[in-house]
Amino acid sequence: MTDGYRRRQYLKGAGATSLGVLGALAGCTRGGSSSDGGSSSSGSSDGSSGGSGDSSGGGSDGGSSSSEELPIPLSEYDSADIDWQQFEGDQINIGAVQHPWVQAIKPAIPVFEELTGIDVQWNILPENQFRTKRQTDASTGAGQFDVFFMDQVVNQFRNEGWLQPLDPYFNDESLYDESFYKPNDLFESSRWQAHGGGYSDNWTGLPITVEVQTQFYRQDLYDKHDLEVAETWQQHRENAKVIDENEDVAGTSGRGQKGYGMNIYILNTFLRQKGTSLWSDFPNDSGLDTQGVIEAAEYYTSLLQDYGPDGASTQTWSDVQAAMAEGQTGHIVADANMFWGGLTNDESNVADTVQIAKVPKPEGGELNPNAFNWQISTSTNAQNSEQGFLFMLWATSPPTDLWINTESSGVFSVRQSTWENDDYISKVGEDYAQVSLESLKASAPDPFDRKYPEWGQRYSEELQRAITGQKPAEKAMKDAAATAEDIYSG
Amino acid sequence: MSTPTQTETTNKHGVAKLRDLWNDYLPYWFVAPMVLVMVMITFFPGAYDLYLSLIEEPTVNIFAAEFVGLENFETAFTRGGAFHSFVITVTVVVSALLLESLLGFFLAALVAGVESGRAKAFYRVLFILPMAVAPVSLATIGRLMLNTEVGIIPYVINTATPFAAPAFLSDLPLLTVILLDTWNWTPFMFIIFYAGLSSVPDTLVEASRVDGAPLWRRYIHVIIPYMKPVVFVATLIRMIDLFRTFGVVYGLTQGGPGTATQLVSINIYEQMFINNQIGVAAAIAVVYLVFVIAIANIVIAKVGFEGVWD
Repeated sequence: MTDGYRRRQYLKGAGATSLGVLGALAGCTRGGSSSDGGSSSSGSSDGSSGGSGDSSGGGSDGGSSSSEELPIPLSEYDSADIDWQQFEGDQINIGAVQHPWVQAIKPAIPVFEELTGIDVQWNILPENQFRTKRQTDASTGAGQFDVFFMDQVVNQFRNEGWLQPLDPYFNDESLYDESFYKPNDLFESSRWQAHGGGYSDNWTGLPITVEVQTQFYRQDLYDKHDLEVAETWQQHRENAKVIDENEDVAGTSGRGQKGYGMNIYILNTFLRQKGTSLWSDFPNDSGLDTQGVIEAAEYYTSLLQDYGPDGASTQTWSDVQAAMAEGQTGHIVADANMFWGGLTNDESNVADTVQIAKVPKPEGGELNPNAFNWQISTSTNAQNSEQGFLFMLWATSPPTDLWINTESSGVFSVRQSTWENDDYISKVGEDYAQVSLESLKASAPDPFDRKYPEWGQRYSEELQRAITGQKPAEKAMKDAAATAEDIYSG
Repeated sequence: MSTPTQTETTNKHGVAKLRDLWNDYLPYWFVAPMVLVMVMITFFPGAYDLYLSLIEEPTVNIFAAEFVGLENFETAFTRGGAFHSFVITVTVVVSALLLESLLGFFLAALVAGVESGRAKAFYRVLFILPMAVAPVSLATIGRLMLNTEVGIIPYVINTATPFAAPAFLSDLPLLTVILLDTWNWTPFMFIIFYAGLSSVPDTLVEASRVDGAPLWRRYIHVIIPYMKPVVFVATLIRMIDLFRTFGVVYGLTQGGPGTATQLVSINIYEQMFINNQIGVAAAIAVVYLVFVIAIANIVIAKVGFEGVWD
């Protein structure tokens, strides 16, 4: 393969990938940084306009609507002992990121409007602009959004008193029915993250999407070199070495760019699999200078330095996905399962050969991939929080979740029952469903404490320095530990 | 004829006083609207920034704010990396300014020396083009062109030279940022210097030529001194603009690897929108504002405005 050919192919692939995945992997966890597009969702959006800018979720004029025309029959919600109509005629404003979940649920919004008589107004923004808008709305007490997307800053917002706990609404019999909602059907990790990742006893929001880390590899190269799917770090390293040394592509690829949703999103899995955790004694000991963390950092940095692409330290998740889709790397060591759609669609050069597997774990370690959830929350100053809670409940309820993920374009259900549903499995493919489900069951999200964005950024900078070779991984992790602890002691 | 009442007399007196006030301060009244606008768009944001730097958390009710003195400034310079980002910024500003000035002048001199009018027009357009590229586009193009796997620049280095191309963004991030900015903004210096060169009277150049001065002497002793105001203004404007650099560098490296290219502007952005440390971000911004104003004033004082505004 000539360099010229590779370059053209890369550019074509990068462009196509950016366009194709702009939506689906907007949900891919990130932080403080890149506004790259990404991709992945398979399937269409059922005609929903996933566009940008402010847009209405459709009229609430029930005159022309009937249950027969609705995507989800209203009878699906009959079993709920909830007074759906108590806020008839009201309106809620939803602040949302341009995200595949929005695309997937929009066609079902008339169902909610018909069911409750509440009109839904969307305020959809690109992620970075949304973060700014959300912060302004919450911190100034403007309360424009009744419901809004929430991510790694959940405890930061909660600590500032900007976020409203949902427990009072769960305790309101007219708003909540446990037998209908089935909260235990939500993945344990999703429920845990919705409780502030262990930092709150209260619901801080309801999870809407989950992505879990998986491994992607090229079957053609594995067949050619008689390689086995890696279950351990050592096997993965050896496979990467064989491919790197014998093929004109990088052995492996992974996020190297700094940002609290970038390189450390990968490393946090590895360090957990080594039996260590972040903040072994919060807020005194970050745990970042323990032997397990150092070994995890050494594994990841040396893997990228030895068998990753040149300049791996600057790779974002979209660079990683583009490299894989273009056939420029043998593996993605551990990244969001939602890459699957972008790697197997028509734009991918490796669609016929790419395979998905669970992330490798260290010898003697346990599978413990990272799971990231987007959730929707309501602020302390929201004008219509009760109405917003009804929306959250409806949007994440079993019938709506199943519809989003089987009939619409969703591939990111937070409910275990959906992942086990035959229609869903046939839609997303057995490999994707099985690997994702098993990974989700074993997964754990990062505990986003209230200063996670701040010390996470510094921790990611140190890891990036190690990947670049500016300092050894051990020194980088020790410096990261000192910085994180200093931030809490200060 | 009726006599004026007491009230009328008083009113007349009041109107006369107002008229005198208007006439005495006439120039100020004319300037007042502009002053008001400047206060709104310059001084108010500056004052608000100072206020934010002195309080714990922002609040609409300024009387309810918890003042923390210089705590945010201390945090900025201890764990906020402010000092490091100032060093990086000054390095970028000085290096890029020097490179852009020298290259801009060199290109301007080359084009000025071209005889053909058509060729001159062609070169003018050619050299100005990079300036038209938006920062985000430039960062995206830069990332692609410098990509070690598929980028055109490493490819050319690898195939046309005996050297192996470095990983620009991870091995030479600061140099890469400086060179990319130089590519982007040398046209600005070129166009101003070219205008300056065009304004040098032919008679002066001819006289020095008749006196037997070689080309380099003509530049050192005649052309450049004549262009001093132009050089000064171009350098000052570009220097202030360089201090504001954000988009290209953030798009290219996000301030990394680590904090290798973390300009003050990037540091402020991260403190504000990632760390949610609004007070620390405001503190760095206040120091930066004072710093840039001081630098600009030093440059103006040392180099002087002689001949610039005449």
